[in-house]
Amino acid sequence: MVQRYGLEIAGGAEYHCRLIAEHMAHHAEVEVLTTCAADYISWANHYPEGVETLNGVRVRRFRVKRPRDTARFSTWSDHVLGPTPMRALPVSDTKAQLRWLEEEGPFSPRLVRHVEKRRDDFDFFIFFSYRYYTTYHGLRAVPDKALLVPTAEDDGVYRMAIFPPLFRMPRAIIYNSVEERSMIEAASGNHQVPGDVVGVGSALPPRLDAEGFRRKHGLDCRFMLYLGRIDENKGCRELFAFFRQYREETGSRLRLVLVGKPILPMPQDAGIVHLGFVPDRDKWDALAAADLLVMPSRYESLSMVTLEAWWAERPVLANAHCEVLRGQCQRSNAGLYYATYDEFRESLGLLEADEALRRSLGRNGRRYFDEHYAWEVIERKYLDLLDRARGGRAA
Amino acid sequence: MSFEIRSKDVDVEAIMRSIRKRIEEKRQGLYTDEEIREIADHRLDAVLDAHEFNSDFIKDFRSDPSRWNFPFAADTVYRSSRGAVGQALELVRRVLRPIQKLFWNPNPMIAALSRQSDLNAYYVHLLHNLAVEVTKLNLEVQELKNRALQLQGRLEFQARREKTLEEMVVYRDVPPPKEPRSGGEGPGSSGGGPD
Repeated sequence: MVQRYGLEIAGGAEYHCRLIAEHMAHHAEVEVLTTCAADYISWANHYPEGVETLNGVRVRRFRVKRPRDTARFSTWSDHVLGPTPMRALPVSDTKAQLRWLEEEGPFSPRLVRHVEKRRDDFDFFIFFSYRYYTTYHGLRAVPDKALLVPTAEDDGVYRMAIFPPLFRMPRAIIYNSVEERSMIEAASGNHQVPGDVVGVGSALPPRLDAEGFRRKHGLDCRFMLYLGRIDENKGCRELFAFFRQYREETGSRLRLVLVGKPILPMPQDAGIVHLGFVPDRDKWDALAAADLLVMPSRYESLSMVTLEAWWAERPVLANAHCEVLRGQCQRSNAGLYYATYDEFRESLGLLEADEALRRSLGRNGRRYFDEHYAWEVIERKYLDLLDRARGGRAA
Repeated sequence: MSFEIRSKDVDVEAIMRSIRKRIEEKRQGLYTDEEIREIADHRLDAVLDAHEFNSDFIKDFRSDPSRWNFPFAADTVYRSSRGAVGQALELVRRVLRPIQKLFWNPNPMIAALSRQSDLNAYYVHLLHNLAVEVTKLNLEVQELKNRALQLQGRLEFQARREKTLEEMVVYRDVPPPKEPRSGGEGPGSSGGGPD
């Protein structure tokens, strides 16, 4: 069960859910329960209600009763979270927090009722993203059959009073990273709930074509790649400032190539190239053509792009403020990280200058990916957790 | 870059430690970004002792000049601050003013003190502006020092590179030694072949 689902939906948790559903369909009968929404801001109904099959997986959609009123949601967010999410406190006003959750949406009581009514038709329900209305109420309707993939970020929301009890309810929890697990366990004390750090694999291409990508986009220079939504929340504003300063101070000719939908205005700078939204095939070729991937976001529960860069044997320069990214770089030995501009300059300078280091980090990344994020590993972990959950229920 | 990392033994945490150490070394004797920002925020503090001089002084001075400077006018010496009695006293002084002028001339003193009051105001503004300029120059010097360090680093790197390239050229100019033939034909064996 997930808040939205579709082949063209690129959101992290939704894409994560789709890949898992498609792979688990090799081992079990899978049905995805979701809403008709495609846009994560308004949750406006986009897909028709009913059943369809996508990549061999049956998908059942339910209408969103009321799209999100962004002004009202913002007012409630300020009320329950404070002016910024980082100030979230476990206030005892659960009534207000539940109202906030309803305003956040996607508000689809029919989907929740369907879960309640048809609980006996399914052995297990796997809920993706803890923080949405559908997950919160759906999981509470079937806790004895529920597995949760929280995809939680360190933004403070998980500390709200309504969520810790939710983390103690399911039969098992599938975490994206060691850091996410510690964060949720510390906030909810759910140590007794079985869990594992699993994450997700990727839809890997048969081959990479770096030269083809360079020709297609007229790139005859070395570059650092950013993949994803170009947004302040993803750390892009700071990235632009740091990169421009880096080029100015060091005289580097390295360019920053960005692939993705721009939410921020793009700076007018010869060193920064925006390619817009590109097909999936080009994304992989871009990784192959790049010297390295930069991941400036502070809030990530699992950066799939980072894992994909490692599969493509490319090193990563990550934001050290994001514990998950920093932890992954340290465990994989496949990326450097920065917390300040000085660290950004030195790390990028080192990566730019030392090809042997880039290659070694890239190879380490590939090894890390194969050991932890290859599909056979992911599927095995899911099946083990389902077995454990089944055993626990029988007992 | 001065790092040398063998590709087989990459340890990201060790690299990050080296990077941080390098940053610390570069900063030795220099201001940190935060310190520079702090200096910019406290303009007067950068050049004057904060205990002796309040950085908000100029604001206070402008908003309430009478608190800091003595506003001296032509009739200041004849004023009184004793309320109703004072007003009567001022009236008596005004009446007797022509008589006291028979004994001494207060005009030069009034002019001098009045000018001094204006000068005090100018000095305060001048010192404030100087403090601002000196702080700006401090920051500029700081930036130039950093830039000089960077250039020095680059120069050293280029010098090392040049030296390495020169050595490579020297090696190429020297003709490679000939391979000894089988049978060990040495200098002493010339002409030693079969007749």
